[in-house]
Amino acid sequence: MSGRRSRSRQSSGTSRISEDQINDLIVKLQQLLPELRDSRRSDKVSAARVLQDTCNYIRNLHREVDDLSERLSELLANTDTAQAALIRSLLTQ
Amino acid sequence: MESISPVMNQPTRTMMSSGYDQSRRKRKKKQPPPPSQTTSLQKWRSEKQQQIYSMNIVQALRELRISADNNSSATPHPRGGGIAVRDAAYRSLAVTARGRTLWSRAILSKAVKVKLRFRKQNRPRISNPPSMVSITGNNRLRKKRATVLRLKAKGLPAVQRKVKLLSRLIPGCRKQPLPVVLEETTDYIVAMEMQIRALNAIISAVGSASSSAPPLMLETGHDGEETHMLG
Repeated sequence: MSGRRSRSRQSSGTSRISEDQINDLIVKLQQLLPELRDSRRSDKVSAARVLQDTCNYIRNLHREVDDLSERLSELLANTDTAQAALIRSLLTQ
Repeated sequence: MESISPVMNQPTRTMMSSGYDQSRRKRKKKQPPPPSQTTSLQKWRSEKQQQIYSMNIVQALRELRISADNNSSATPHPRGGGIAVRDAAYRSLAVTARGRTLWSRAILSKAVKVKLRFRKQNRPRISNPPSMVSITGNNRLRKKRATVLRLKAKGLPAVQRKVKLLSRLIPGCRKQPLPVVLEETTDYIVAMEMQIRALNAIISAVGSASSSAPPLMLETGHDGEETHMLG
């Protein structure tokens, strides 16, 4: 992470963060997104598109976690032996 | 070289060879092992991290269940149960992050605030307990990030707008400058993906374990139903 600071050669007077670093971060972000990961044409994918897709992806992740925790709570509520089962299953993994 | 052949059983020779070995070993040890440059992203994708998280969340869930049984379950909140599990999941995730990121600290401080408010309602307490100070005091221990006073780069309104949206989605990033938000986002996304993997594993484990148990109170059959988003 400290390599980022050493690359700020083209710091215009006021901003210490250069376009380069921001573009690097956005490219890194793009590689995390499942939809934009395969098409590595990073020149053609604009930063706004990456950010928009990131927002959508995070919202989807939130929704999925909510859904999963609902299912988990139902499972735990319905079975009395769920606790023992949980612990047992984790121990045998 | 053949000087360290195990066939020779003479004590002096073996001592010398072992001495030679030790000096060799010492020389190897002197070079410090290169620091393993596992980034935080690789960490989240590792198996070990997922197991640590699973342990954390199972413990949190156990505490949840115990507290739920203590309060008489006269009105079992099906809606509230899911929310409680979700909060426990995020809290365990923040704990597993070891407080190195903004979002994890924000989640933890939120949980502490709620707990303090709850305790205040039960019995009057001192308003500024030391735990709060320690959480915000960790800012000093945070590894240094480049701070931006006036951000000229990427001043495009579209990008700025999206980053603002993004910062509202990620806990603790509402007033952070652009590079901080981007960095937190990458960590947050990978952490969430791990959380989803772990939750799926736990659900399938509990589901299969409870289905093999004597089906006394089993009514819902959720086993094998996995809606996976991450392909």
